[in-house]
Amino acid sequence: MSTTAQQTQLFHGLVPGATIPGDWFPGRIPENISVGENSVVDSSFCFKHYYSTARVGLRVGSHVTIWRASLAADEAACIEIGDYCYLANASLVCTERITIGARVLIAGGVTIADSDFHPIAPAARVADTVALSPVGDRRRRPQVEARPVVIEDDVWIGYNATILKGVRIGAGAIIAPGAVVVKDVAPGVEVAGNPARVLGERER
Amino acid sequence: MKDNIPTASTLSDDGRIYIDYDWYGGGIPSNVRFGSDVYLDTAYGFALYCSEHEPGLSLGNATGAYDRTSFIVGAHGRIEVGDYTVLNGTYLVSNERISIGSHCLIAWGSVITDSWAGLAHAPVEARRRILRDAAADPLRRLQPLSAPRPVTLEDNTWVGFDSVILPGVTLGRGSIVGCKTVVKEDVPPYAVVAGDPARIIRYLEPDDTPEARAQALRQFAR
Repeated sequence: MSTTAQQTQLFHGLVPGATIPGDWFPGRIPENISVGENSVVDSSFCFKHYYSTARVGLRVGSHVTIWRASLAADEAACIEIGDYCYLANASLVCTERITIGARVLIAGGVTIADSDFHPIAPAARVADTVALSPVGDRRRRPQVEARPVVIEDDVWIGYNATILKGVRIGAGAIIAPGAVVVKDVAPGVEVAGNPARVLGERER
Repeated sequence: MKDNIPTASTLSDDGRIYIDYDWYGGGIPSNVRFGSDVYLDTAYGFALYCSEHEPGLSLGNATGAYDRTSFIVGAHGRIEVGDYTVLNGTYLVSNERISIGSHCLIAWGSVITDSWAGLAHAPVEARRRILRDAAADPLRRLQPLSAPRPVTLEDNTWVGFDSVILPGVTLGRGSIVGCKTVVKEDVPPYAVVAGDPARIIRYLEPDDTPEARAQALRQFAR
C-alpha cells in the first residue's frame, strides 16, 4: 500500500533546502527562498530552471499552492508570491522581478515573463545561442532587457493566458483564457484576446 | 478487467494499474476503463484525478494518451473518449462531463474544460473563499466557481495546439479548431475556426463516410 500512500501525498511543505520524500525528480528546493506557513509544492521539478543567487530569489507567503509550475529565475531574479495564491501548471520566467499579490489564481498553461528571454539584435542572439549551448557559459549570456511584472491582489488568470514584460495588472482583474496581455490592466476589469482588450468593468 | 488494461501494465493489489515502463510511480486509479489496444505514456496525468464516477474515465479502442496529457477530474467529473483518438499533451478539466468522440486529434497545450466559466461575474469574496477552502484541503482541490457545463467533441474533430475549449461548447463532427483559438460557442460540423474570439474561416467537405472509415481501417491498421 505504500504506492497508494505516495499517491495521496501529492503536496509537500515548501521548505528551503529540503529534499521532498518520494520526489520523482532528483532535485531539491533551493536554500535562498523564504516561505510562510502552510505553503506546498508537488515536486522539486518546479525549480528545474531556478538559478537565482539573490539573497532571497523567491518569496512565498502563507497558504500557497504550487503544482507543476516552473519557477524559472535568472541569477539576479526575485519572484514574490502572496498569501493564498494558487499556481497550477504555470510558467514564471523571471530575469529581474515578478511580483504577485495575495489570492491570485493562475490556471494551467499560463506564462508570466518579465523579459523576452533573448536579446533582440541579431548578433546578440548569435552570442546567446552559443552561451546557452552545451559548451557555453550561460552566466555570460548577453544582457536581456527586463521590465518587472506586477500582479495585484485577487487577480484570476485563465488557462493558457500570457502576461508579458512590464505589465501591471490591477487588483481584482480577470484575464480570460488565452489572452495575451502586453499592456497594463486596470483594477477590476476583464480582458481577453490577443492582444488583450477590455471586455467589461465589474463591480468591485 | 485484467484483459482490458493497457499493454505492458500490471493490475496491482491496491486496485491501481501500474504501467511497466512508467517513470512516475502514482499508477492509474481503479475507476478508469480501457478499450483494447489503449496506449498511455505515463500515469503522471492522474495526479489530480479524483472522480468518484464508475467509470470516471473511459478510453476507447486504440486511443492514445501521450506526453503530459492530464486528467484533472473532480469528484463529480467524468471523461469519456472514443476509439482511435489522439490526446497529445492536452489538459482535460472536468467537474461534470467531457465527451470526446472517435478519430479526434487533440494537440499539445490545449485545454478542454467544463468548469470555470463566467469568472468575471463572480464577486471577489467568492473567489477568495475558493482559495481559502483549497488551502485548508490536503489535496488542495479547487471547487468550481460556477455550475459546470458539459463539453462535447464529436467524432473526427481536431483541436490545434494551445487552444482552449470552454464550458458548454460542442465541436461538431469533422470540425477543426486552429492553434491558439479560444472557443466559447458551439462550432458547427465540418467548420474550421481560428482566432480569439474564434471565427469560422470555412467549411470542409463532409467526406468522412462509413466507407472511408472502413477503408482507413483496412489500409492503415496493422
